[in-house]
Amino acid sequence: MNATVEAAENRRVKIEVKDLTKSFGNLLVLDDISFNVAQGEFLSIVGPTGCGKTTFLNALSKLIPTTKGNIFIDGEEANPKKHNISFVFQEPTCMPWRTVRDNVAYGMEVKGFSKARLEERLRYILDLVGLTTTADLYPNQVSSSMEQRIAVARAFAVDPDLLLMDEPYGQLDVKLRYYLEDELVSLWKALKSTVIFVTHNIEEAVYVAERILVLSNKPTKIKAEVKVDLPRPRSLIDPKFVEIRKQVTELIRWW
Amino acid sequence: MAYEQVKVETPLVLRILPVASILLFFGVWQAVVELKIVPNTMLGSPTQVMALFWEKLFEANPDGAVLTTHAYISIIEAFTGFFLSLIVGVPLGLLMGWFALAEGLARPIFELIRPIPPVAWIPLTIFWFGIGIPGKVFIIWLSGIVPCVINSYVGVRMTSPTLIQMARTYGATDWDIFKKICIPSALPMVFGAMTISQAYCWTTLVGAEYLAADQGLGYLITMGRRLAMPTMVLLGMICVGLTGVAIGIIIERIEKRLLAGIRR
Repeated sequence: MNATVEAAENRRVKIEVKDLTKSFGNLLVLDDISFNVAQGEFLSIVGPTGCGKTTFLNALSKLIPTTKGNIFIDGEEANPKKHNISFVFQEPTCMPWRTVRDNVAYGMEVKGFSKARLEERLRYILDLVGLTTTADLYPNQVSSSMEQRIAVARAFAVDPDLLLMDEPYGQLDVKLRYYLEDELVSLWKALKSTVIFVTHNIEEAVYVAERILVLSNKPTKIKAEVKVDLPRPRSLIDPKFVEIRKQVTELIRWW
Repeated sequence: MAYEQVKVETPLVLRILPVASILLFFGVWQAVVELKIVPNTMLGSPTQVMALFWEKLFEANPDGAVLTTHAYISIIEAFTGFFLSLIVGVPLGLLMGWFALAEGLARPIFELIRPIPPVAWIPLTIFWFGIGIPGKVFIIWLSGIVPCVINSYVGVRMTSPTLIQMARTYGATDWDIFKKICIPSALPMVFGAMTISQAYCWTTLVGAEYLAADQGLGYLITMGRRLAMPTMVLLGMICVGLTGVAIGIIIERIEKRLLAGIRR
């Protein structure tokens, strides 16, 4: 494990999810989910298809009201207007009328960053994500993987208390995905954000996360927790990596 | 990332065809009148219309104004009505698309007024405004505002829900989202509204002038009928058509230039 990253257990609790329950009418989707996320932790959430991952994320980001339970950030009830919650969606969310630069700046604009701070941070982030040379192009002039990087850069730019990612690389080919996963890990290391990364790709989860929560079928509960205590950069063919991947696969399989 | 412009040669036949079609049309028309297949009391020939066009550029009689005055009055009326409908209709439609309060208040009234043809307002308009310019502007405004409201409304409604969600997760307020997400995303539809509204305004103008006016291209057509001068009717019709085409081209130019900045 990277020496600069402290073991998660010793870090301060940043996010507290308590008794999170969501039902649509009689359909119970999320059943009393509770867990903590440490400051600066990279947590992955995996689960079988249709286990309510999207509902789970929407409830966490406060996009939809919860039936019971709540999310606390630094001990306070989460509120998008007050806390910095960023969300990277599965599909690209670039505004076609804004340049790459202005798209990345959007989150900071909403958060009311001062002009000087916005400019400085923008330069830093664009450089970090390697978007400086394309900063003045419009989204329809860059590739779709680039569009997803814009969304990721925008999310990290606001220095989020909590960064939620909903299968951001699900629609990309393998090579680009590996590349962007590495980029994501280095961004996370550089900016020390707290990340919850939802995916259905087990390999991806083991590759990026410090800890994995495995969800059950509906009504969704946390089925298991797996620690990924591997050094970075991780190797996909390291026996230990393969072992963890198999362990998670066994937990998730429903066939 | 510039794309190379590819020049495609239009075949000679395709370039000649439109010209040939127009020449044929006027040729047949001229022949039909010259050969007395249709009597001159029912239809004037293209050459007669051209002659009258030249005459009317300088001669105010028998209808009371030279051609340029008629055209000028019509254009002023159409554009005043058009701009007023943009100024009122676009913001109204945008607000209706996003704010439930605006939609709840304005939609029922709008839906009630919308199906009434603008020309049906003419009698009331004459009571209220007489036959001067304000009355016609009012009717033109009524017809132009409909596409403005509908397009702006639909434009806001078509905003990508993911973009709205994205903005919400950053804690953007409703007003923020309206301003920074919904309006820019609705703009191409709003420009579409400009084109449609302009055409509506011009069409309604002629109807309005036909019934209540003492100047304007529509009035020229009416006078042609009263004086039993089919050539004058045709002159009015052709001027309406040509002016409409000219306005259409100008709007398209403006739209292209503005839309280039939005880069949809």
